[in-house]
Amino acid sequence: MTAPDDILFDHPGLAALLDTMDDHALDALNFGVIGFDAHNLVRRYNRFESHAAGLGMERVLNHDLFTVVAPCMNNFLVAQRFADARQHAVALDETIDYVLTLRMRPTKVKLRLLAAGGPWSYVLVHRL
Amino acid sequence: MNEPSPWPDAQEYEALLQFLYMAPVGLVQIAADGTILMLNPLSAQLLMPLSADGALNNMFDALASVAPDLRQLCARFDASHGQICDATRIYLHANDQDSGPHVLSLSLLKLDASRLMAVLTDITLQDKRERQLRKTDAWLNAIITNIADYALVSLDARGRVESWNESIGRVTGYDASAVKGQPYALFYPAGATTPEQQTDRLREADENGWVVDEGLRTRSDGSQFWGSSMISPLPGRSAPDPASNEVGDHEPAYCMILRDISDKRDISENLRKATYCDHLTGLSNRRAFFEAAEVELARRKKAVRPVSLIILDADHFKAINDRYGHPAGDAVLCHLAATMRAVCRQVDVLARIGGEEFAVILPSVELSGAWAVAERLRAQIHAAPARFEQQAISYSVSIGVAVMDDTLTGFDDLIKRADQALYAAKRAGRNQVACWDADSLQLPVQQTRTAP
Repeated sequence: MTAPDDILFDHPGLAALLDTMDDHALDALNFGVIGFDAHNLVRRYNRFESHAAGLGMERVLNHDLFTVVAPCMNNFLVAQRFADARQHAVALDETIDYVLTLRMRPTKVKLRLLAAGGPWSYVLVHRL
Repeated sequence: MNEPSPWPDAQEYEALLQFLYMAPVGLVQIAADGTILMLNPLSAQLLMPLSADGALNNMFDALASVAPDLRQLCARFDASHGQICDATRIYLHANDQDSGPHVLSLSLLKLDASRLMAVLTDITLQDKRERQLRKTDAWLNAIITNIADYALVSLDARGRVESWNESIGRVTGYDASAVKGQPYALFYPAGATTPEQQTDRLREADENGWVVDEGLRTRSDGSQFWGSSMISPLPGRSAPDPASNEVGDHEPAYCMILRDISDKRDISENLRKATYCDHLTGLSNRRAFFEAAEVELARRKKAVRPVSLIILDADHFKAINDRYGHPAGDAVLCHLAATMRAVCRQVDVLARIGGEEFAVILPSVELSGAWAVAERLRAQIHAAPARFEQQAISYSVSIGVAVMDDTLTGFDDLIKRADQALYAAKRAGRNQVACWDADSLQLPVQQTRTAP
């Protein structure tokens, strides 16, 4: 088993690895993890992301990612890419530069968009 | 017991945070120079796709391509605080791509010398509904307006005047021999309509039961009046067969009511200007431009005909502003607009689509024809300088030309091509016209117009 410290934001084949990790292991990562199901409901949310956004797990889990949790990603740059990957049943692994609004402050990040056919898709957040 | 803390506890703070995260409007706090200090997620959702550099450092920069006057608008606002603009509409791109917002509403409030609040909303659907309503309004206006006089004209299946009556003589001054068998374009000023557009109106009347069109009309003596034409198909007529030229020839197929509404012109013109005109040059604004493009492309879909697009940009405009001052820069833009009006036809759509960027939609014009128009524009501007306070200001324009074809999915793609051609003209040394051409114009994708 890979120790969380060794798992980096740009780790190859990360989606499959994240699927196997428990909540505890996700919390040990030093980048944000938001995992969501086919209905865009947030199912996984790690400590890093919770701290950055200032929101506790209970405010986020089981809510719609693109309308309740991260409306800033609800455009063709992010949400549409997941929708397209789902529609065409293809895997998605793209890293893009983005600006999040963590605690209403413009924050430059790299987002890694992952959909590999597992139960969850992921948005990973690496703060620059 | 402890006294209640004056600070919100963690739960309350979190609830406030989430309240802002989820707010279904975009809220942005900016500094006087546009630097983004705070923003909520919805504003990032709306602004990120517009940001040329993928950053959100400055709101004026992020919106520069679609609202070039924003920085100036804020700079010109002298009061110490107050509303700078209220629900100003920003037209992002043509309405032919299904995903994402097309129209944003922006309100700006100056809080003090160093802070402004902006509210951004996606009003794409609202804008669409309003356009539908306006169409209905035009129809109602045409019916209930107090009118000076009207002519009742019967047209055959191809839109030619089928017979003469006294009302035609009264309103237009034409006698029977001058109108019979003539296309109804006879009543329009030269260049105000094309044969394709005339046919379009008949098809639209077939589909909707009526079509209304307001604008200048001409009398037999050449004098003009502001008129409204409403065309409706006559009842009890079988549907037109486009395959046959013979069908319905010389039989009345449509009724056209042509009204002189000159009295009403001032009101409807003022309203139209406020909504559809660029305030500086009087040309169409982005909103009118995209709406006209949508109509033209919809017509092209029904009956294929060429539609060309010219995009022109004043060369070294920033240097003109720096050297002569902004009022002189404005005079140059007005001069450019006046030259466009002199060179183009009335049916062409002339628009200011950016700070020093203009566009012309040319219905029923092939690429070669559009190139000729563009070249005339370029040459005239080069030959006749603008004047400002007894000073002659020479300037030039670079022009990109493209024509719609079936490989393009919509108007945005056509704009991209014209933009690429414009960029090629700039790169080739400015004061030039370039046509988009799949073979000769091999521009890498990233070389759109983000340069210097």
